[in-house]
Amino acid sequence: MKNKFYKTAIAALLSAVVVSCADDSEQEKEIIEPFASRYQVQEFQPVFIKNATILTAAGEQINDGAIYFKDGKIVSVGDDLSEPSDDDLQVIDAKGKWITPGIIDVHSHLGVYPAPGVQTSADGNEMTAPVTAEVWAEHSVWPQDPQFSLALAAGVTSMQILPGSANLVGGRSVTLKNVLGRSVMDMKFPEAPHGLKMACGENPKRVYGSKGRAPATRMGNVAGYRKSWIQASDYKKQWDAYNKSVEAGKPGKKPKRDLKLDTLMGVLNGEILVHNHCYRADEMAVMLDIAKEFDYKVSTFHHAIESYKIADLLAENDVCSAMWSDWWGFKQEAYDTVPENVALVDKAGACAIVHSDSAVGIQHLNKEAAKAMTSGVNMGLDIKAEDAIKWITINAAKAIGVEKQTGSLEEDKMADIVIWDGNPFSVYSKAEKVFIDGALKYDRANAELQPVSDFDLGAVKPEENRL
Amino acid sequence: MKLSKFLLAGLVAATSFTVSAESILIKNAKIHTLGSQGTLQQSDVFINNGKIISVGKKLTNSADRVIDATDKVVTPGIFAVANSLGLAEIDALNQTVDSVTNDEMSGASFNLDEAFNPNSTLIPHNRVNGVTRTLVSPAYSSVHLVYGQGSIMSLNGNYNPLIKSAVAIFGSYGESGSGRVGGSRATALKELQTLLDEAREYADNYEAIFAGEYRELGFSIDDLKAMQDVLNRNTPLVMSVNRASDIMTLLRFAKKNSIRLVLKGAAEGWMVAKEIAAANVPVLIDPLDNIPRSFEALGQRIENSSLMNKAGVELMFLGPGFQNTHNAHTVRHSAGVAVSYGMPYEAALKAFTATPAKVFGSDTSYGKIMSGYDAELVVWDGDPLEVTTSAVSVIIDGELVNMATKSKRLRDRYKDISTDKNTAYRK
Repeated sequence: MKNKFYKTAIAALLSAVVVSCADDSEQEKEIIEPFASRYQVQEFQPVFIKNATILTAAGEQINDGAIYFKDGKIVSVGDDLSEPSDDDLQVIDAKGKWITPGIIDVHSHLGVYPAPGVQTSADGNEMTAPVTAEVWAEHSVWPQDPQFSLALAAGVTSMQILPGSANLVGGRSVTLKNVLGRSVMDMKFPEAPHGLKMACGENPKRVYGSKGRAPATRMGNVAGYRKSWIQASDYKKQWDAYNKSVEAGKPGKKPKRDLKLDTLMGVLNGEILVHNHCYRADEMAVMLDIAKEFDYKVSTFHHAIESYKIADLLAENDVCSAMWSDWWGFKQEAYDTVPENVALVDKAGACAIVHSDSAVGIQHLNKEAAKAMTSGVNMGLDIKAEDAIKWITINAAKAIGVEKQTGSLEEDKMADIVIWDGNPFSVYSKAEKVFIDGALKYDRANAELQPVSDFDLGAVKPEENRL
Repeated sequence: MKLSKFLLAGLVAATSFTVSAESILIKNAKIHTLGSQGTLQQSDVFINNGKIISVGKKLTNSADRVIDATDKVVTPGIFAVANSLGLAEIDALNQTVDSVTNDEMSGASFNLDEAFNPNSTLIPHNRVNGVTRTLVSPAYSSVHLVYGQGSIMSLNGNYNPLIKSAVAIFGSYGESGSGRVGGSRATALKELQTLLDEAREYADNYEAIFAGEYRELGFSIDDLKAMQDVLNRNTPLVMSVNRASDIMTLLRFAKKNSIRLVLKGAAEGWMVAKEIAAANVPVLIDPLDNIPRSFEALGQRIENSSLMNKAGVELMFLGPGFQNTHNAHTVRHSAGVAVSYGMPYEAALKAFTATPAKVFGSDTSYGKIMSGYDAELVVWDGDPLEVTTSAVSVIIDGELVNMATKSKRLRDRYKDISTDKNTAYRK
């Protein structure tokens, strides 16, 4: 409902409708959507991969299966496919190999905290005010970060890049396809909604408390969120009234645009998804009450170390938890670790995700999921590979609002596909080939198909590329 | 009920000083002995009085406890290296962290032995996952280039954890080191040389120094004293360093001063692997780290471990990045990744067991599954380097470790939350 209304409103804002009010004294120009995705699907021949073990992330493990994709989309998946007859078909015999959807990381800072990790390019935290909803992570992304290619070699095809957690409201996130581009717009996942980074707990209160300003406590944090949502609700009311007046053909006074409140209003309108850094169960419960108070939805709690304590509540509210398999103890709110966290959240029927928050971890999400699965199995839960694969694919896609386009191997979805040289839940397995929208973007066996950033080029020795 | 508990308590109290641990027979395991027996299939280990008594097929010793290890794998316990186990509870809470000091007088003499807390929750957390001993070390310093000593501690959880004190002295060179001393590698190297020179002066003139009849020295007497073991080659100097040219500088420095050197980090180690091997310098690395995280680590790559190993460098593994303390146990997974990129299996296994024992001392009693060695080992339910494998039994000092942890208590309290929300009285 909300969604539709907002889209209409935006359309009204954006173009022709506005121009139609001829006697408006302000000269209305056509507003174009800034920073729109310029990602282009690479043309590639149709591909048929056969004799593989396939984890579809739609609930199945298909043994001796095949997958067929062309024009960027999956055509069919199954164990009884016959070879299609396209002239230029590429056939890959994947005997002994495994196929999964491309891995998706819902929590990454690649590009905004690029390597090398020097102050001059540490652009992930706008630590100048506790609410900086006006900043967009994409404006900090350095597309030449050499870490993107490392993640690609590990099967990561999409990721959400978030601002850091210093602020109560840190700004907009961006979802990227893992392709190198000359600008961030070349990498932006088409049609993916923005996210809004929010943070609970220790970080905001430490950062601002130590500067002698609010928030300095958790109660200060909560007051800060609520103040912002009150402003945003007022702002939304003004715009709703204005848009209604435009629709009625009697345009009223146009509210003054505010970048910060634009973003918060996007959340209230259901267009921007809330990604809330929140470790402790009791704080997550408070955040859910704030969401009810102001009528918005939390998509995902990130670093949700204590989700196992409120797994029932999270299931009830349809909120995802993005978790590590075993990180803990670096701060007090990360103390109550339980390696079975992911499995327990999954068992409760809530959306469970394994995330990285790390340039190293993003390269091992398959193994992190394997560890989380093993912890669950050890305590007697029935979790199989076809279940655990969802934690790093379709559930992650759901969290960032792209589950209809990617995240599982099903007909008509984007052909974001990884061929692994063995069971992806083994420490010894590696991504061998990675397809994004049906095009081969990484091939371990072919150096020509291993992307090299500007930074990597001649970085160590002029005649070589950094590895 | 009450009476029997009382009787039992009395019995334990009366006998605990005279009766040693139960004897244990592990049956039918795959055993990575890491010794001359190599890897044994379907073999047994007999343990008594804290020692491994015999290793072989179809042992007939009668034991108090028999562990059926069919389809299971036995290795020495994990020797975690260069972390703050027992010295840090929560990284961000300084009051819980003892592995860092800003005391100007405590450089090479900074010793952590008495700061170690065997009751830290990190000890059981790592112990049930196979870590049996650790080389604790100072985490870093904002003051000194050479900033303290590492000691080998047991994870036995009792108040006598010390296995061997001051087995290494830690320092750093390169970007982080030079920042502390004049901002240049050139001044940092000069400072390192001064430390060794003054340590020699101290050895030659300590009577005059104590009598106050010697010039004032730049380093504290305690630090110069501590450096004596480096000068006489009893103790290696472990230097964090990354850039290939910096590694070469340190190799020359060690040779010139005739000291034992160990490299830590060594992001660009593979670029000068032959030289490191030729100098017989062991290297401590985090095999997962392939991020060019600074301008001195541009050559960092995932094949670093396998390339150095191939060149003949003796490698030891660190756990993953900043989690090398809380999750020191996951070093075995990092070793698995190193194997997937070409490191030979046994060298990878030794990199977190036998090799650190050899480099830092204690390899005559630990690091091999063989007769006469300490009974300090782990029974795994599969390949110990695999992410889907878990420790099923851990033995330290010949005794089976209790597998309880705070994490498991929390898990059990909340595992049925959907059907029973009354958690506070669930113990």
